[in-house]
Amino acid sequence: MVDDDRDTAFYLSVLLEDKGYEVRAAEDEVEALSQLEEFPADTVIMDVLMPGRSGLDLLVKLRSSPRWSNLMVIVVTGNDRVLEDYGKSYLSFHKGIRGPDAVLGKPVDAEALLRLLDT
Amino acid sequence: MLGQHHMLAPREDSMDDRIPTIITYEQYFEEMPCYLSVHGRDFRIIDANRRVRTDFGERIIGDFCYRVYKQREDVCENCPVEMTFTDGKSHSNEQLLLTRHGKQRHVLVHTTPFCCDEGGNIVSVMEMLTVIDEFKRLQNLLQRSQEHFAQLFEEVPCYISVQGQDLMIRNANRRFRETFGPAVGNYCYKVYKHREEPCLVCAARLTLEDGQCRSTEEVVTSAAGERINVLATTAPIFNSEGKPEAVIEMSADITEIRQLQSQLTSIGLLVGSISHGIKGLLMGLDGGIYLVNSGFASDDRARIERGWEMVQRNVDRIRSMVMDILYYAKDRELSLVDVNPAELFADLENGLQKKASDIDTELTIDVAPDAGTFAGDAMAVRAVLLNIVENSLDACRADRRKDQHFVRVNVGREPPFMTFDVEDNGIGMDRETREKIFSLFFTSKGIKGTGLGLFIANKIVGKHGGRIDVSSEPQRGSRFLVRFPLEARPSVPLVDEPSACEQ
Repeated sequence: MVDDDRDTAFYLSVLLEDKGYEVRAAEDEVEALSQLEEFPADTVIMDVLMPGRSGLDLLVKLRSSPRWSNLMVIVVTGNDRVLEDYGKSYLSFHKGIRGPDAVLGKPVDAEALLRLLDT
Repeated sequence: MLGQHHMLAPREDSMDDRIPTIITYEQYFEEMPCYLSVHGRDFRIIDANRRVRTDFGERIIGDFCYRVYKQREDVCENCPVEMTFTDGKSHSNEQLLLTRHGKQRHVLVHTTPFCCDEGGNIVSVMEMLTVIDEFKRLQNLLQRSQEHFAQLFEEVPCYISVQGQDLMIRNANRRFRETFGPAVGNYCYKVYKHREEPCLVCAARLTLEDGQCRSTEEVVTSAAGERINVLATTAPIFNSEGKPEAVIEMSADITEIRQLQSQLTSIGLLVGSISHGIKGLLMGLDGGIYLVNSGFASDDRARIERGWEMVQRNVDRIRSMVMDILYYAKDRELSLVDVNPAELFADLENGLQKKASDIDTELTIDVAPDAGTFAGDAMAVRAVLLNIVENSLDACRADRRKDQHFVRVNVGREPPFMTFDVEDNGIGMDRETREKIFSLFFTSKGIKGTGLGLFIANKIVGKHGGRIDVSSEPQRGSRFLVRFPLEARPSVPLVDEPSACEQ
């Protein structure tokens, strides 16, 4: 879980842990990558706009690395444009990068998130 | 004498033999395309031509003219025949006749002395009456048209003025006069632009030159000093040679439309901008609620507390957002009272201290004992200070590099101002951010909200005639110096001029 908003990160972590998932939270891209080294995550849930680097930058990094390219990536965003085009307009600068597996709008619909993770 | 044929010799100067040799003046008299009659001193008709007899009766010879022509029993007022008998001169005026069929005829009457006796006294007067019904009808129509247009000109709810080649106002309608004062005889640029010389781009002048209509948007000033936005249309008035000799200017007041447009645009921007902030807020509320509910379900007190704290924090954010929006939607005039900073902060301190302790930040508020009071709108000043201190607290919260955070508020009296010095060691701002913070809808990710708070704070301070100075360094902290004038100052801040300056 990558989100600079501590409230959001805490809420979603608790929610998912209650459902039996193991969750690690990071506040930015750097922390996320360092945690991924040690924690074998199946899924990365990330916010789009964070100080420092945009969340989609992190997506590009993950997709380009052999180790994490197959991770499921769910983007959570308050940005209408990203929601509509799945980040394509941002990713258009990067050739051949697979977009996120899912994009959810804020405020996050808990049921929808859980359904996605179940698959 | 009259009534007899006269056989005259053929005219010696006639060139054509075929012209009839018998020409009688009686025929001229009879056939004249007007009424001709000859009157004696006693007003009886001595002779009358065919037209008179046709319209007024065959047996009129010898009858009184006033009875024949007007079916009256006495002499008419201002009778031209009478005047001619009196002074021997020709007279003319307009009269209204009544034919034997009861029809009214407007006529133009000319009288002239006709026959005199040996003593030189006038014996008879000839009267020529020309029908001017059509003329009268057109005259009435014209007059009604003129009255109609004058009314339109006067009553139309636009400002209308007519300027000559020299841009002097020749005519102005009521609305114009009421708004801009006496206009006729004054230069247009003086009357509604309060200028000493013609405007640089003058639509009226251009229209006078090329005869083309133009529409321009202008800002004019009423006699009372109010600024009015108008849409001005100029149209040429041509002289008989087809050249523009004057210009008519019609201006519609669009001030309210422009204001509404400006507000609508801003509201549109506002809605776009707050939607992002609101989503974050709702997320916070969802999260808090989930934590509280699941906390109750699993009897986890710590979770309940954490959840409830999240709910409260986000409700507070919603409150400020709503207040910002409401303030923004309705711009109020200042109502000035004596504001006491010590009392103001005493009021705010509890809430602020709680926020500060929630984020492990030390908040100190120090009001100098001799600070006294200043003239301000209590609610507005409170909003400004709250906003700035909260911003500092947010900056501290967003900063993760330092362990110890503080926000220091110092209030002092430095004539002619009351100064509020708010310093923090939070996340700081780079130059670009510093330059944008007072603009509308600016919000950096580290500071959540509508983007209205500082904009409104700046506006309020500007309205008081005060100023905000900002200094900041990224990662080090920021300092906001807010100055309110001690005495009320009338200020007319322009929309685009912030009162905030960089240091």
